Amino acid sequence: MSSSVLKRSAFVLLSLALAGGALAAPKKVTGYGSLGVVNGKAGGTYTLVLGDSPQSLNYYGVIDNNLGLVAQQMFDGLVEFNYATYKIEPALAESWTISPDGKVYTFKLRQGVKWSDGQDFNADDVVFTYKNIIMNPEARAGDAGNFKLDGKAIEVRKVDATTVQFTLPRAAPAFLLQQRYFIMPQHKLAKFSQDGGAKAAEINTAWPSNVAPSEVVGTGPFKLTGYTTGQKVTLAKNTNYWKVDAAGTKLPYLNTLEFLVIRDPQAQVAQFLAGNLDQLNISGAQFPDLKQKEVAGAPFKVIRSTALFGSPPFVAYNFDAKDAVLSKLFSDVRFRRAMQGAVNRERIIDTVYNGLAGLPGHGVAPANKAFYTNTTRQLGTFDLAATNKALDALGLTRKNAAGVRLLSNGRPLEFDLTYGTDSSVYPAMATILQSDFAKVGVKVNLKGILSSKLLSTGQSGDWEMILHAFGDQPDPELRRPIWQPGGALYYWHRTLQPAQDGGAPNMARMASWEKDIYTIFNQAAVTPSASARKALYTRWQLLFAQNLPVTPIAKPENIGAVNNKFGNYVYNLGVIPGYNPVPLIFQK
Amino acid sequence: MLTFAIRRVLGMIPTLLLISLVCFVVIQLQPGSFIDQYLEDPRVTRETVQSITRQLGLDQPLWVQYLTWIKGIVTQGDFGYSFVNGRPVSSLIWERLGWTVFLALLTLLVSWAVAIPLGIYTALNRHGVGATVMNFLGYVSLATPDFLVALLLIALVLGTGGTNVGGLFSPEFIDAPWSWARVADLLAHLWIPMIAIGLEGVASLMRQMRASVLDVINQDYVRTARSKGLSGRAVLWRHAVRNAINPLISLAGLSLPALISGTIIASIVLNLPTIGPFLYDSLLNKDQYVAMTLLLFSAVLLLVGNLLADLALAWADPRIRFE
Repeated sequence: MSSSVLKRSAFVLLSLALAGGALAAPKKVTGYGSLGVVNGKAGGTYTLVLGDSPQSLNYYGVIDNNLGLVAQQMFDGLVEFNYATYKIEPALAESWTISPDGKVYTFKLRQGVKWSDGQDFNADDVVFTYKNIIMNPEARAGDAGNFKLDGKAIEVRKVDATTVQFTLPRAAPAFLLQQRYFIMPQHKLAKFSQDGGAKAAEINTAWPSNVAPSEVVGTGPFKLTGYTTGQKVTLAKNTNYWKVDAAGTKLPYLNTLEFLVIRDPQAQVAQFLAGNLDQLNISGAQFPDLKQKEVAGAPFKVIRSTALFGSPPFVAYNFDAKDAVLSKLFSDVRFRRAMQGAVNRERIIDTVYNGLAGLPGHGVAPANKAFYTNTTRQLGTFDLAATNKALDALGLTRKNAAGVRLLSNGRPLEFDLTYGTDSSVYPAMATILQSDFAKVGVKVNLKGILSSKLLSTGQSGDWEMILHAFGDQPDPELRRPIWQPGGALYYWHRTLQPAQDGGAPNMARMASWEKDIYTIFNQAAVTPSASARKALYTRWQLLFAQNLPVTPIAKPENIGAVNNKFGNYVYNLGVIPGYNPVPLIFQK
Repeated sequence: MLTFAIRRVLGMIPTLLLISLVCFVVIQLQPGSFIDQYLEDPRVTRETVQSITRQLGLDQPLWVQYLTWIKGIVTQGDFGYSFVNGRPVSSLIWERLGWTVFLALLTLLVSWAVAIPLGIYTALNRHGVGATVMNFLGYVSLATPDFLVALLLIALVLGTGGTNVGGLFSPEFIDAPWSWARVADLLAHLWIPMIAIGLEGVASLMRQMRASVLDVINQDYVRTARSKGLSGRAVLWRHAVRNAINPLISLAGLSLPALISGTIIASIVLNLPTIGPFLYDSLLNKDQYVAMTLLLFSAVLLLVGNLLADLALAWADPRIRFE
């Protein structure tokens, strides 16, 4: 008998023993050897940072990233991500079934799960959370919009104490991925809900920032024990947590999780260097300094990781630019392809990101094993001679005295590049693009604005070329408003957007490849078969790579610095519901 | 004196009403609105934005918003609620007031205690080496912004292997109950903000004091006192300094509003839990009732500071009467 068979039978025996031993079914967190995860030991305090005081402790009452970071440690959803593969795994739901027509989702809840105050978790909590909070249009951070398909509502109902069922008006394969919403305790929040007789908007007033910590109850690895305004949020281990490690030790390992409120990024780094913070996510600009200190023997490690999430920057040309000649040129795929040859990705990765970035995908991150199609070849190479030739072929052969190409109307080929001035990467990137474009006779004027205004400026249509970034997601369906022509965020071709929310986009103005992409997204949204969806999205990525609605530039790596005292660090970008490796962290 | 104080307090009411109106108008003139940040967030649907606008009463006409706010203050002492935190403004300010007052009073006391003797010393030894050095340092600290001093001090502490690089406590003491160890930890952190925030005050107070002392020591009454044969020390403290300090009392009264807005950047850099950054955020977010209340509060402090200064002046200077 080979050793692997032995191991496997031992494993089967062990799981049988566990299953027979108790009604409770903890989730065993295993299989992360590739991420360097080992069995840890209990105890210790881990200190993280928040950029500002959380505005409330009710995740659905305010839209606040700082609260999100804390809430992520206190609440769980029905499903969650695998930390390595980003596949969906059981969380509060132990298993689920999807009807063959893709319309009925039945979640079997994990038995024996308790809230941090000892009350039992059950189907009532789930139905309560969805009905009164997530689907409540008055909840400020609810998500009612996602529970209507083609104008028809999704229904949620309790089947029995441990079963919840969702009925959709049509198939929606991304639905499962979305069910990472944090589930809230009915026994604590009912009085703020419509079920409890309150007005719909009153849910926003639950758990204000001065709430008694014992009121904030969750199923997550930690529970709230203290909140000092402007200074610190303290969480303690939830002894009722439902996960165990490979050796059967209860998670989380840590006794205490602290968040210090530090607003200034420089002050955050100073506190990390002083040893008052145990982990900090840093930018590429801060990398060399910290790495140098690490090499010189400082007691921390700087870790690079190619995570799926994170925003890859791109440049877009405004198809609807106010200048008609520019608009026509920007809409011409030959122009966008020609200009891609003047985008020096390698130099940008080297100098702007200090080498801490890779080549981008087209709408899908290369780390995304489920959907990424290798389009590296379509990115082309940096070749100014080829760009010159391609621009000549477009008829832009005449040049003025300054060497700038002349448009058909005799004006020079000159336009604005809008970029964010308060970013560590955009200004340098914009300068590189400007200087290389000048070498092929294209004059770019830099127009700096605040990074927080990039999206609204993009959507206003008042720009010619823009440098911007949107986040990658595990499933392209979740980024449909960005990449589907006519979507609310497809702002480089705004004239496609429907006159009214939810209306049909302006098909007549779509290029034929845009129509293809539009159809692909519509089909993929309702195709239950995973392989068929993958094939559809592969076609989309190729169409994207060839037609360049936007020109992706690079995929930045994520960088974290962590104190050597701690083990099992897995990079955690920020608030990604269903992606929380903190329970695995232990103090050596 | 009591009637004087009461008259002054009553006189403040119309002034404050006018100030509240100005604050409201200024906040409204600022471009954008609280709702904008949601419009820009791809996660938020337009329906949600509409319901938030309605919940916050931002769909009401401006004059209704203003009158509702004023009515709440007058009839119920209710200063409105924070859009960002979904809580009454007064409780939010209250939470942050303790450390703000503590830090402000402490810096004020320390800078007075350091600046007054230095001012007198530099005035009396105008051409000495010590005074020249002091004056030079005074100029430098006047010219250096407080946040820069804070950053330099942080770099200094880090460079020497220290761990107290901001905040008022080490992490483990932030929410610990009071104990000697906690006081020691506080003191170990306190010197950085004291120096960073207090330095500029020391320098300007020192210059003021120096100028007033120089002004006073050549006056007739000082000469008279001297000619009567009083000792140099008695002349200095009983006559010269007591008169020279008058302008500084008015100055102290005017420095009360600095409680709120005086140290915003230093507070951010040093991570101090004071009201300054709270005001800054509320202005950025257009959290209008918080911003208006803080501005109004600042105005009240200015008026109260003036009143206190007048009372103190009357006490210090017999020439001043209330008629």
